[in-house]
Amino acid sequence: MTDDKLQLGHIPEDAREPSLVPAPIAALASLIIPGLGQALARSARRGLILFFSFITVVGLTMWRFGIAAPRDTGWWAIFKKGLYLDPFLIVVTILLFILYIWIAIDAYSLAKVRTKTPLGVFIALMVMFFALGWQIAQIDLVGFVSNADDALPALGRVGWPWSKAIDYELTEIRADAEIEIPCSDAPPPENTLSGDEPIIISTPTCGNLRDQDGTDNPGTELHLEGYNFSPGIEVDIMWEDPIGDEFRQRQGGEYVIVIPDENGYFEIDIEMPYALLPPSAREPTYIWEVFGHQIEEVGAAKLSHDFKLIVEKMIETIFMGMMATFFGILFALPVSFLAARNLMSISPLTLAIYYLVRFILNIIRSIEPIIWAVIFIIVVGLGPFAGVLALVLHSIAALGKLYSEAIESIDPGPIEAVQATGANWIQTVMYAVVPQIIPPFVSFTIYRWDINVRMSTIIGMVGGGGVGFLLIQYIRVLDYRSAGMCVWFIAITVAILDYVSAEIRARFV
Amino acid sequence: MLEVRHLSKTYADGTKALKDVSFSVPDGEFLVVIGLSGSGKSTMLRCINRLIDPTEGEILWDGVDLAQLKGEDLRKARRKIGMIFQHFNLVKRSSVLKNVLAGRLGYTPSWNSLIGRFSAEDKIKAFEAIKRLGIEDQIYKRASELSGGQQQRVGVARALMQDPEMILADEPVASLDPVLAHSIMQYLELLNQEDKITMVCSLHYLDLVQRYATRVIGLKDGVLVYEGSKADIRAMTDEQFKDIYGQDAERVGGGLEGDLGVKVGGAA
Repeated sequence: MTDDKLQLGHIPEDAREPSLVPAPIAALASLIIPGLGQALARSARRGLILFFSFITVVGLTMWRFGIAAPRDTGWWAIFKKGLYLDPFLIVVTILLFILYIWIAIDAYSLAKVRTKTPLGVFIALMVMFFALGWQIAQIDLVGFVSNADDALPALGRVGWPWSKAIDYELTEIRADAEIEIPCSDAPPPENTLSGDEPIIISTPTCGNLRDQDGTDNPGTELHLEGYNFSPGIEVDIMWEDPIGDEFRQRQGGEYVIVIPDENGYFEIDIEMPYALLPPSAREPTYIWEVFGHQIEEVGAAKLSHDFKLIVEKMIETIFMGMMATFFGILFALPVSFLAARNLMSISPLTLAIYYLVRFILNIIRSIEPIIWAVIFIIVVGLGPFAGVLALVLHSIAALGKLYSEAIESIDPGPIEAVQATGANWIQTVMYAVVPQIIPPFVSFTIYRWDINVRMSTIIGMVGGGGVGFLLIQYIRVLDYRSAGMCVWFIAITVAILDYVSAEIRARFV
Repeated sequence: MLEVRHLSKTYADGTKALKDVSFSVPDGEFLVVIGLSGSGKSTMLRCINRLIDPTEGEILWDGVDLAQLKGEDLRKARRKIGMIFQHFNLVKRSSVLKNVLAGRLGYTPSWNSLIGRFSAEDKIKAFEAIKRLGIEDQIYKRASELSGGQQQRVGVARALMQDPEMILADEPVASLDPVLAHSIMQYLELLNQEDKITMVCSLHYLDLVQRYATRVIGLKDGVLVYEGSKADIRAMTDEQFKDIYGQDAERVGGGLEGDLGVKVGGAA
């Protein structure tokens, strides 16, 4: 007897009453309307569950077919196209069919053996939902693996971004040679080496520009020699045209970059570039400049601008969280007394206030801080203040609820005992109420501070100030190293905060 | 001398907890109140020190009607009446010392107690009370770290701090096991006999009643149904007791009586 009753999901009454119809009829009924057979076998609840589950599954499947074949009309065409386009739908269709049959089998065996458990058919249902869920959520494990190669460089930068934390003072080294286009009778003189100044010497100092396709009319070959550059640092070979535009020399599609030897010397042959000058600018000859351009790091390493900015914003974030928590407590304390049922059930009026306060708190709490931030940005503009306001509001609601629940759960015994000693009201509060609510209050407050710092990083993303603002900008300009630094700082701060709050809580609670 | 006359209490929901109860307690008496749960024992005790306001009746204590007192006068009266609770009603997170010192609040100016300052005499008094109850090793522990018996001793010490002339004990041993029950009751008996503190104590166990009471009153559904002297209650059989008290009356276990570790006061 106990064995029957212990079976999963089984209703004891089922075991006693025989089925209304013979087993084959029940199976047939379930084939006509899934679940009907179970209902006829006196398992109405199981039948209902199966009926609605089956309808849901069929509906979801039809929806997926509709999405797979958006341009077809007529259910048969959509069905065929869906199966053709999305192999996954074949699996879903087969599962659906299995489920349909299984429900009939379940009805049959339920009508025959009254103690049958519904486990099998519900597992079939679960598999069906799982298959649909896989499809609806667009889970793509292949994509996850095949895209990993492309993602790795970016992930590497996020994972270890610290090369961007260090910066050097930069100096620009530039030396140019004048080139006359085309050659006239008196081309500019060659530069001559004098002293330690960087210099570029070009031979010849005049020539013709290349044609657009470069096959008929190649540009003049120039032999460039550079002296006194910084050894071992890349030199870009660049041009400056008569109207002051600078552009890099390309050779075979690549930028031309040379690395000077230990004496700061290099030599290279280049073909003069293609360039189009507007007819209005045509003159008999022009003076162009070819130049070597080098950027050298000088002086000691120092923290980069980005690094400093991130630290600055991180501090801003932490203090946003702190100020939000502070003002949150300030307002939540009085509000929590209004939201404590045991204090507010004195009269119908106070009870009405209690319900009103609870209602407002619930509404405020159910709207995420990030949405409040968007609202407050409209009011006070972009920046940390909007973020703080959003967090304050949400903190009041969250803390108000937590505090009031702490007040509701205090033990009335000590209050009675302290009153009985002849203590007055304020003494009773100090000796019987406060010691009871301090630990939960401290605990909730620290927890909230923790949340607020974490939330303020997110709130920055909609413009509410703090490091989140920076983070979302770096992500948008694909500066993964700086974004990585933001992530690191957030992670470190949250970890420290977590530790500190656990320590404080352990002391107080 | 405590005289309760025609005391009635009707709660806001219409429950009549006490119906016209009258009795008197001479000074130095150990009065035990018996009765079923819900018979009005707790309500009656709380009416005496006005944790609950009675609906009707007089509670005359040394000629003053406690039922009429308000504000400062009520607090002054309360501090001479100690109270001990079934669930000890200690602030669990506070230390034993702080819990005991709380008994002195009625004598301490508000501004001093707000910053937690008690006079040196109060502290010495607290140490003495704690020592008298044998819990001096636990003095700086949190109340929640103590066992049930130790917590009730803290409760007794807190009541002692009030220099009470009367102690109201609301089922002081109902949460304790039999051995501890006797131990606590013996402390109460000691205070009754040595310090001449009037005891009004509600109890559940018949043999504790027989052992400690000098007078007994019985309540049933808020009505006083029995009043008897020490001799009367000793002569009473279990059947009679159950008749007044209700079917859930029980003995602690008679064998324990007489061979207890804690022996204080005049054992019967």
